[in-house]
Amino acid sequence: MEETVMHLMKKGAITCRENCTVREIAQIMVVNRIGYCVVVNEKHEVVGIISPRSILKVFGMNLDATKAKEILLPYTITITPRSPLSDAIELMNKKRIDHLIVVSDRPGSKAVYGILHGEDLVRAMAGVGGEA
Amino acid sequence: MIRVCDLMHRGVLYRYPDDNAKVIAEMMVTHQVRFVAVMDETGEVWGSVSMLDLLRFYGKDLEHTRADEIMRDYRIEVDPQWLLEEAIKLMKKRKIEHLLIIDPHAGPKRPVGILTDFDIVRYMSDIKVGDFEQLLKMGV
Repeated sequence: MEETVMHLMKKGAITCRENCTVREIAQIMVVNRIGYCVVVNEKHEVVGIISPRSILKVFGMNLDATKAKEILLPYTITITPRSPLSDAIELMNKKRIDHLIVVSDRPGSKAVYGILHGEDLVRAMAGVGGEA
Repeated sequence: MIRVCDLMHRGVLYRYPDDNAKVIAEMMVTHQVRFVAVMDETGEVWGSVSMLDLLRFYGKDLEHTRADEIMRDYRIEVDPQWLLEEAIKLMKKRKIEHLLIIDPHAGPKRPVGILTDFDIVRYMSDIKVGDFEQLLKMGV
């Protein structure tokens, strides 16, 4: 049976709102020791994702005046818990990101269900708590 | 003005070109890093393996895949005295998350440290090392 995203994803995600400042997002990443932050709207629907590389784009600018919505990578990829893991890995390499947002299987849903971390895939490859 | 040497980590995690991919995966997990250098016995860097490079081999026979099969050749020389802006420009241009820092005094292709995009984000967050526990207590 083909391995799916459900096997290795983690439920839940660290999120912020579109009007968060870049400084706040950098602080969220550092304090939580994570390399992503999911941007959501007031309905808690995914708008996009911010990676350390997105933050580097505004180095030298006023980080307290720059908002999340100005730097986010728009959410265009639909990965659900039932998506094949191979598709998710291909997407990670294509987009050069090591985190993917997983949304609910419900049709039309853009609510965050969880995150597929590159670290968890590598852990599985190393034979620590995974199936690769 | 901030220079690369102000933010980089000193020392580099590395494996040899004939080590297998599973050993590299184990090293990434043990040390919680997203990047391992590939160096020969003389300490000369040949290339590097990032987490994304490794993920291309998910589900394959890692024990029979050598580091030099999955690594990317290392051709970028970054001096510790570079201004941080120069390093960021290079990361953005090459779409890479890590830079190996080469000390010209140690010789060509002899890395002395590593600079990651996360090191720069930490600097941009303005959180001082001593403030960290305080922020955790506050639940920020």
